[in-house]
Amino acid sequence: MSSSTGIEQLRSIELQFERDRSSVADLRSLKELRNRYLSRKSGLLTLQLEGLRHIPPSERAEFGRAANELKSRIEDALASLERALSEREKTGALERERLDVSLPGNRRRLGHRHPLTIVRKEIEDIFIAMGYTVEDGPEVESTYYNFDALNFPAAHPARDPRDTFFVSDTMILRTHTSPVQVRTMEKISPPVRIICPGRVFRRDAADPTHSPMFHQIECLYVDEGVTFAHLKGTLERFHKQFFGEKTQTRLRPSFFPFVEPGAEVDVSCMFCEGSGCRVCKHTGWIEMMGAGMVHPNVYGYVHYDAEKYSGFAFGGGIDRYAMLKYNVNDLQLYFQNDMRFLEQF
Amino acid sequence: MRVSYNWLKDFVDITAPPHELGEKLTAVGLALDALDLREGPEGGDAVFDFDVATNRPDCLSHLGIAREAAAVYGVPLRRPEFDLRETDGEAKDRFSVSIEDPLLCGRYCGRHVSGVRIGASPDWLKARLEALGVRSINNVADATNYVMLELGQPLHAFDADTLQGRQVVVRRAAPGERLTTLDGVERELNPEMLLIADGERGVAIAGVMGGAETEISLTTTNVFLESAWFDPVSIRKTSRAIGLATEASYRFERGADIEIARYACDRAAALIQTLAGGVVHRPAYDLYPGKKAPASVRLRRKRIAGFLGAPVADEIVERIFERLGFSLEQTGDGWSITAPSHRIDIACEEDLLDEIARSYGFDKFPSSLPSWNGYGSALPQESAERTLRNNLAAAGYSEIYSYSFSSEEAERRFRPHAEPVRLVNPMSEDATILRTSLAPSMLAAVLWNLHRGIRDLQLFELSKVYDARGENRSLILAACGALRSKSVHEPERAFDFYDLKGDVEQILEAFHAPLDAASDDLPPYYHPGRAARFGALAVFGELHPDCAEMFKIRHRVYLAEIDVEKLLALPQSRRMKEVPRFPAVRRDFSLLLDKATQYADLHRIMMSAGIPELVRVAPFDRLETGPFPESKYSLSISVLYQSAERTLTDAEVDGFDQRLLQILEQRLGAQLRK
Repeated sequence: MSSSTGIEQLRSIELQFERDRSSVADLRSLKELRNRYLSRKSGLLTLQLEGLRHIPPSERAEFGRAANELKSRIEDALASLERALSEREKTGALERERLDVSLPGNRRRLGHRHPLTIVRKEIEDIFIAMGYTVEDGPEVESTYYNFDALNFPAAHPARDPRDTFFVSDTMILRTHTSPVQVRTMEKISPPVRIICPGRVFRRDAADPTHSPMFHQIECLYVDEGVTFAHLKGTLERFHKQFFGEKTQTRLRPSFFPFVEPGAEVDVSCMFCEGSGCRVCKHTGWIEMMGAGMVHPNVYGYVHYDAEKYSGFAFGGGIDRYAMLKYNVNDLQLYFQNDMRFLEQF
Repeated sequence: MRVSYNWLKDFVDITAPPHELGEKLTAVGLALDALDLREGPEGGDAVFDFDVATNRPDCLSHLGIAREAAAVYGVPLRRPEFDLRETDGEAKDRFSVSIEDPLLCGRYCGRHVSGVRIGASPDWLKARLEALGVRSINNVADATNYVMLELGQPLHAFDADTLQGRQVVVRRAAPGERLTTLDGVERELNPEMLLIADGERGVAIAGVMGGAETEISLTTTNVFLESAWFDPVSIRKTSRAIGLATEASYRFERGADIEIARYACDRAAALIQTLAGGVVHRPAYDLYPGKKAPASVRLRRKRIAGFLGAPVADEIVERIFERLGFSLEQTGDGWSITAPSHRIDIACEEDLLDEIARSYGFDKFPSSLPSWNGYGSALPQESAERTLRNNLAAAGYSEIYSYSFSSEEAERRFRPHAEPVRLVNPMSEDATILRTSLAPSMLAAVLWNLHRGIRDLQLFELSKVYDARGENRSLILAACGALRSKSVHEPERAFDFYDLKGDVEQILEAFHAPLDAASDDLPPYYHPGRAARFGALAVFGELHPDCAEMFKIRHRVYLAEIDVEKLLALPQSRRMKEVPRFPAVRRDFSLLLDKATQYADLHRIMMSAGIPELVRVAPFDRLETGPFPESKYSLSISVLYQSAERTLTDAEVDGFDQRLLQILEQRLGAQLRK
């Protein structure tokens, strides 16, 4: 065999490789292709190189060079084919793992705290940050703490069994959180700075704005030199913290037996910012609290010197604050415990 | 209190339009509830509805409201003027008037008007009454109502000829005495009640309502007019006891102006004379045993700034009180101030400071935050309660709030031995006591949701329960339906006993509570085979099917009741344990055990086998049937060995395994499944 015949055979192997290569679609057929040409025992190119010894020595160098060049071309082609194929397979594998990421997430159930718990805590935190201590007291309370020591006259209508739940002649379900004021002042000397959240009871038939049971929060500050100006400032600060910095607070003269002066506390409507809407009955204001300067008769019951000390007190409904914060339109929703309501908080 | 704008103008010259007047009066304490503008001749009228505070009965009249308006605008107040033509009566016409109980009747004024013609009132009077929602009756009755609305003094007119023996006696009712009032109802009275009587019988319940037999009728020609002052507490009690509240009792129980009684009596007599003719007899009757000297209250100048937060100039202070009809006398450090008789609310210096604050304007005082030393703090257990609530929410439980009220029947099922707090005056039959358990209201909440198609529930309530000994916080959990609902991601997984137990364990463990499980002494409303307790801290399990049926619940419901007071009282200190530095070795076995063997026994035996390196035992598979005797079950457990000092060798671990298996075989007859 002459070198020129050998070189022609190499050319035909290369042409055959080019044809075979184009039909390779995956890594397995690539391996077969490699074996067919480069296998140590039966590779077409290997066999061709074995024919080297039949070529006259003077032509061997030329044939050898041509054969080696072909081998390296085939190896390069195989390597680049392998890169392309493995890249395609990886992409394919990832593609096969593709999810419909638009399906909803698989949620574990999370419980919800009751809105009244959330709002109570929020109010407590505002006052704690201002330096108040949280106190509590019994819900089954004596008429002494609920009425007498708060300067309610013996014939005050609030004492009527139509309005107040009685347990005995002298024990009732507290109608407000104010008894805790008296209980605390009995225990400690001024300065007294407390808030007391809690459950209270009045004989009101249940409807969207009334409930025989609701929740109040009470604030009391007694010290030397406490003034009506401090009451105003504290109420303003609290409402700005709770409803937002734009909130305005207004006091109107009113009457509660245990304060003098007494006031109703209005805040600017958080829904219309005071311009008038259905919620505020187009007045721009919403009544939120009762407030005032502690009546000297109350100091008499707890043996504080009314000449030395003065103080303010105010109280409002937690349920009502939550209604306005969350736009809850029916007080009964708090106590029906419908999951469709509870899960919103 | 409804007030006519035009009527007010009889007493005070107001130029401000109604809405402005309403705002000004609201700012001084007469809260305007409603303003009704009415069309009519000469600009129509406006009817205000003011919310008059209980301590200001002086504002329950046009004159009273006009007085406040006059003070606000600094204009004079005019009292109604009238012309009373009196005639000396004959001795035989005289009445004998007496007060038997001067504490309950501080003043009694009377007027005899004879020869009246009962008829309809003139249109102007009808219009004034009807504008305020008061029905016109006849000229005499209308005159008394008119004067009450004008001056605030309730009056009553008797047909004088029906008063037996021409006597009027103010006395307490006899036990069981009966009187038919104007509304036709016969009422039984008692000696707590004050009565107006004639020579023979009661003719009116004092201050509340007149009697039917002495009522003014179309044939009445002689009128006896009453204008009195009755004790507020007595009137309130009587009104409540007989369940009758009237315009008169409303005013008397708040406190009428004792000084105006005579003036009002004469004013009404004059009006009757104008409307119905007749002769007003002399003398007038005026018994006044309750007359008191007006008391003065001191007001110190320095208290104004010290209490209200800013000083108010002397001339402003003086002007405020003068305009409101108070009299002032200057003293060294301020004033001595005497309130007019209608201001029964003025008793102490703070009351005067209130007058200054409201009259000068609440908005004129500064607002400032107090400055102080000290700190604020939450309730001692607030942080623990918050942990509890957060853990429960993380475990999927939503918080409910239920009424504290319950019924004896519902509570007896759950706390048969509790002595409940009973309400004397409950609002309904199913709310007669305070709850002794959170279970009935929790089941009601479950039922509420089930009825609305919400079947997968996890709820909790942390609230008070009550009994005769006191009130304590309690915690209840409830669950039913699916723990995980069916979705595109996974099949439905029902909530079961072990889910509940795991939740209870985690709640207790967060407070370092010991988990001493027991299944004895369970309340009867639990499923006897599916409930347990952890000491005295928690009872939990499936609700007994009979109990579920009583609540009409057709689903399996799980309950856990936890004594939070005990839980939160446990000592809480957390000390870090060293993080293991050497690897743990896990071994799994499958054991064959007698059906009667409880896991807890197996666990206890293994943990007390004297192998300190045994740090955890956990079951992971249980087979009831298989290639083993029917009396047995198969339990697969994994055990974890770990040493704090070194890496354990295979030989050591094999030795531990052998020891455990040996002990289990000895103690429980457990065999290793091959």
